[in-house]
Amino acid sequence: MILAAGINDSIVVVVLASAVVYGTPLLYAALGELLAERSGVLNLGVEGMMLVGAVMGFWADLKTGSPGVAFLVAALSGALLSLIHAFLVVTLRANQIVSGLALTIFAGAAGLSSYLANDLNVADHPARHPFNSFLPHGWRTAPVVGPILFDQSAIVYLSWILVVAVAFYLGRTRPGLNLRAVGEAPAAADAMGINVAAYRYVHTLLGGALAGLGGAVFTLWITPQWQDGITGGAGWIAIALVIFAFWRPLLCIVGAYFFGAFSGIPFTFQARGILQGVPPELFQSLPYVMTIVVLVVVSSAGARRRIGAPAALGRPYVREER
Amino acid sequence: MIRIERRLEQPRWLAVAVPVGSLVAAFVVMTIVLLVTHHAPLHTFWRLIVTGFGSTFALNSTFVAATPLIFTGLCASVAFRMNLFNIGGEGQLYMGAILGAAAGIALGNHSGWLSVPAMIAAGLVGGAAFALIPGVLRAYLSTNEIIVSLMLNYVAALVIDYLIFDSLSYWRDTSTPSAKVFPQGKVLPDAATWPVLHVGGLELPLGLLLGLAVAVLVWVLYSRTKFGFEVRVIGDSPRAATYAGMRTRRKILAVMALSGAIAGLGGASQDGDFRHTLDPRGLTAAGYGYAGIVIAALARYNPFAVCLVAFLLGGLQNAGYALQGADFPSGLVGVLQGLILFCVLGGELLMRYRITLDRRSRSAEPAT
Amino acid sequence: MAAAVELRNITKRFPGVVANDGVDFEAAEGEVHALLGENGAGKSTLSNILTGLYHPDDGQIFLYGKPVAFSAPREALDAGIGMVHQHFRLVPPFTVAENVILGDHRGEGKRFLVHPRHIERRVAELGERYRIAVDPRARIWQLSLGEQQRVEILKALYREAKILILDEPTAVLTPQEADSLFETVRVMADEGRTVIFISHKLHEVKAVSDRVTILRDGKTIATVDTASATPRSLASLMVGRDVQAVERVAREFGTGDPVLDVVDLRATGDRGDEALRGVTLTLCGGEIVGIAGVAGNGQRELAETITGMRAPTAGRVSVGGRPLRGGDAREAIAAGVAHVPEDRLHTGVAPSLSIASNLVLKSYRGGRVARGPLLRLRAIREHAVALIRRYDVRGGGPEVPARQLSGGNLQKVVLAREFDGAPRVLVVASPTRGLDVSAIETVHRYIRQAAGGGVGVLLISEDLDEIQALADRIAVMYEGSIVAEFEAGTATVEEIGLLMAGGARE
Repeated sequence: MILAAGINDSIVVVVLASAVVYGTPLLYAALGELLAERSGVLNLGVEGMMLVGAVMGFWADLKTGSPGVAFLVAALSGALLSLIHAFLVVTLRANQIVSGLALTIFAGAAGLSSYLANDLNVADHPARHPFNSFLPHGWRTAPVVGPILFDQSAIVYLSWILVVAVAFYLGRTRPGLNLRAVGEAPAAADAMGINVAAYRYVHTLLGGALAGLGGAVFTLWITPQWQDGITGGAGWIAIALVIFAFWRPLLCIVGAYFFGAFSGIPFTFQARGILQGVPPELFQSLPYVMTIVVLVVVSSAGARRRIGAPAALGRPYVREER
Repeated sequence: MIRIERRLEQPRWLAVAVPVGSLVAAFVVMTIVLLVTHHAPLHTFWRLIVTGFGSTFALNSTFVAATPLIFTGLCASVAFRMNLFNIGGEGQLYMGAILGAAAGIALGNHSGWLSVPAMIAAGLVGGAAFALIPGVLRAYLSTNEIIVSLMLNYVAALVIDYLIFDSLSYWRDTSTPSAKVFPQGKVLPDAATWPVLHVGGLELPLGLLLGLAVAVLVWVLYSRTKFGFEVRVIGDSPRAATYAGMRTRRKILAVMALSGAIAGLGGASQDGDFRHTLDPRGLTAAGYGYAGIVIAALARYNPFAVCLVAFLLGGLQNAGYALQGADFPSGLVGVLQGLILFCVLGGELLMRYRITLDRRSRSAEPAT
Repeated sequence: MAAAVELRNITKRFPGVVANDGVDFEAAEGEVHALLGENGAGKSTLSNILTGLYHPDDGQIFLYGKPVAFSAPREALDAGIGMVHQHFRLVPPFTVAENVILGDHRGEGKRFLVHPRHIERRVAELGERYRIAVDPRARIWQLSLGEQQRVEILKALYREAKILILDEPTAVLTPQEADSLFETVRVMADEGRTVIFISHKLHEVKAVSDRVTILRDGKTIATVDTASATPRSLASLMVGRDVQAVERVAREFGTGDPVLDVVDLRATGDRGDEALRGVTLTLCGGEIVGIAGVAGNGQRELAETITGMRAPTAGRVSVGGRPLRGGDAREAIAAGVAHVPEDRLHTGVAPSLSIASNLVLKSYRGGRVARGPLLRLRAIREHAVALIRRYDVRGGGPEVPARQLSGGNLQKVVLAREFDGAPRVLVVASPTRGLDVSAIETVHRYIRQAAGGGVGVLLISEDLDEIQALADRIAVMYEGSIVAEFEAGTATVEEIGLLMAGGARE
């Protein structure tokens, strides 16, 4: 038992455990973005959706005291926001990049999220109850796997279920097959009677909902409090994460926790007094730098041939174009 | 049933009617939002206009707000014209500010008139160099410049934070005991204060004039030179550009460098015109880079329109900041900007397509 | 035989053109009915209406005597209408089986889960029955165009299509593959299905159909029994005037010195495969060499390597005796190599830019239209006005965006620009694809003129008629190399077809 306790206090285990924590919002948002991109819609507004989800989820929890309702509200808010994006790029065929950026500006740290935060008076209130781990004590203190796998909250376990669900959906179901067709060759899908617009709408909304959930993970669990811009760029990392994971749900977990680790390291090191001379900014910049490195590797021509993005990603689909 | 057909020609009046119509639509939506959240719309709009443009003082403040936006708007336009989505204007501006401040500090008060040109040059170089990172990666490794430039924004923000808050760097003011405890940047020497042009009661900062000059240069470059011709071809059809023997890679580097340089100049202007120190908190809170993208999109990448839109949006931001308080909704400016952008984006559809009603067809399915 | 499908008075308009103008059409059960017409006559539009992709502005559709209206492709598919398009509607990363079942919502398709093995077996069965076997597990991007076409047919058969529309199916097939297709078509017709065969090739129509309907300028001209029609009568109905079958115009040409030397050229294709496997050929001034072959055998890579758009992995290209470094289009242009590319809209021009800009796409660096770094806009405009007049480009003035021009006029712009550079070598790829008869005549005339003026012309085309009409020498490409070379007129179509499919020459 003493030995077990010792291992569980080691830097590696602590870092890995916190990787799971910080990686969870990334995972939710990345899964959502993955679904949207698989339908051919690039959504750069994830950061904005996460922030709005964070605010609304926090507010809903304050008002109702129910975490379930809070998450629902967060998801709905994210979905509503992504409805704007879907309408602009699917029906009105606007440029997807500009629309996504517009959404981030609209909803981001100097926009709707702070507007709502102010109007709903959520600042300076801590959340009423953080999510607690609920598995039996014995499991949670097991050597190594205890803190990393079992000492997590329902939010984490739900994300795992979601990953499996999405993977199954894409690979083994008919709607999943149709979705992939829409993202790769919308003209072919259309000719075969699949409603391209509907699939794009639905999956963009799902993307927004999951992004909203991801944002709420911050305000309801990680730092149960609201701060302007609390997500700190997580939305952007999620976008990069999807590419990092080659648009495959199972690899999203790996990527999310990998990046989550780098977010957690600065605090852990500081608390332990490790590497005192090294500025925290160095660690904080690592996720961003790593994203670039991964991107370079993934984008090199050879890799792209074998694990490409959905071919129709970013391009509007028009049926009667001559 | 509504059908959407591509237009063959674009009537001239549409090019003006649509943006104007979009603006109107945005304001209508904003009105609704204000009403729903119990703020008086007309009163709010009026206060915005007056505080933004209604007096010499207001105009001067608006010039201050608009100057960085001109730079970042031009930065985005220059790149977006060639389908290079340089989202890194924010970070490139920071880098220009860092190098510009360094130049100003280094030259002190000894070199007199040399300081300002040196800061300008340093700003240009800082921004250009930083923009070349995504540029090189895109040109030679086909890496998506959107994500790279975006990630670098965060890196640049961390760098600028580090220089003032977590280090005893060249930029940090360590002269007084209080400065050692409460971090702040060195105040730039007097020689590094950029001149202001006084016209009547108006004060036009050097940065503003430089920005306008850059707009003219960009316009000439893109519409009258071989360089601009190549940029337009590459932006329209990279395959045709390769077919015609154009050096696409070199263009990517050149355009990214130009784009970053402009943003960097904006950063130097922040040091020399307005803040007189390297100010991480102020710069990162302002979000000039991202606002610049919005401006570029609204201006449809035309340099002169960028100046105009920057001026208008600068006034809006200026007013929003000045009016901040218990009775004025915060986040308003971001919301309004976003709404304007949405409406303009939607309006683009009307420019490219024609919507017709087809009464004969029975189905209710959309044509997409 | 009862009428399986009937179209009455169908009209369809697009911006600037009436694609179908009061078209009447009727095909019976168990019949192979050809739809004949030039490019732009309205055949594709008609079939798109029949399959629910477009909505007719006027007119009615009847299936087996009952009126129907389709608001989406799905309804047409459910009604038993299947189509094999010219440009396949397949999802490249998917397997054959996945493509076949995509969008199917009857029976098997109603299930939520996808069972790959089961589907693959059914696809294999179908393939065997109709003698169009394909590996159900293969991914589309791995298949040849002929095999991909079989997948398209399998899709229709899987959905139990009773009316099958084939749109220019032999464009991507060798003559032998085309014969095999005709057999499959006959089998399907004998089973009671209706096959609508869209084509602009007279000998095919004669070979496979029972009746022919001729379209011209969006209108129905006539419906005749194939047996009683001759190629000549069909052609005159198609074009509206009496035409000779395309004959080779014998040319007086004195070949000059070699202007283009290609020695053992090798290059890698887009998929990483070796697309060019050692091509050697010589082109003399004033000569037209035709490169025949089915698309996808390295022709595009050959054109791109010679014109500098692609870097060779081995071998040498020399122009006028001087070797090129390769992989540099600017170098090739400066050496006097002109290129009329296959994809004129997306490679040959910058579509959103004006005609005037496109006319200086390669010459903007030079002295006439530029001064230092600046462009002389007035000179560019005058230059455009002159070329537009000389080449009779219709569709607008110099400031009109290139994408607004029709195919024929666009090609004139490209040719005007390429000839303007006084080239020594002209590489033309599929120059008359998608053009109507008069545009084809014009383009051929310019090509002959160029050769007459001493330019060496490399004509790459899938259209054997075109090659036979123009070329002095013919080379056949198969799988990346030249398998045969001979003087024009010394080989029959059958022999060439055999070579194109990889058979050896006697």
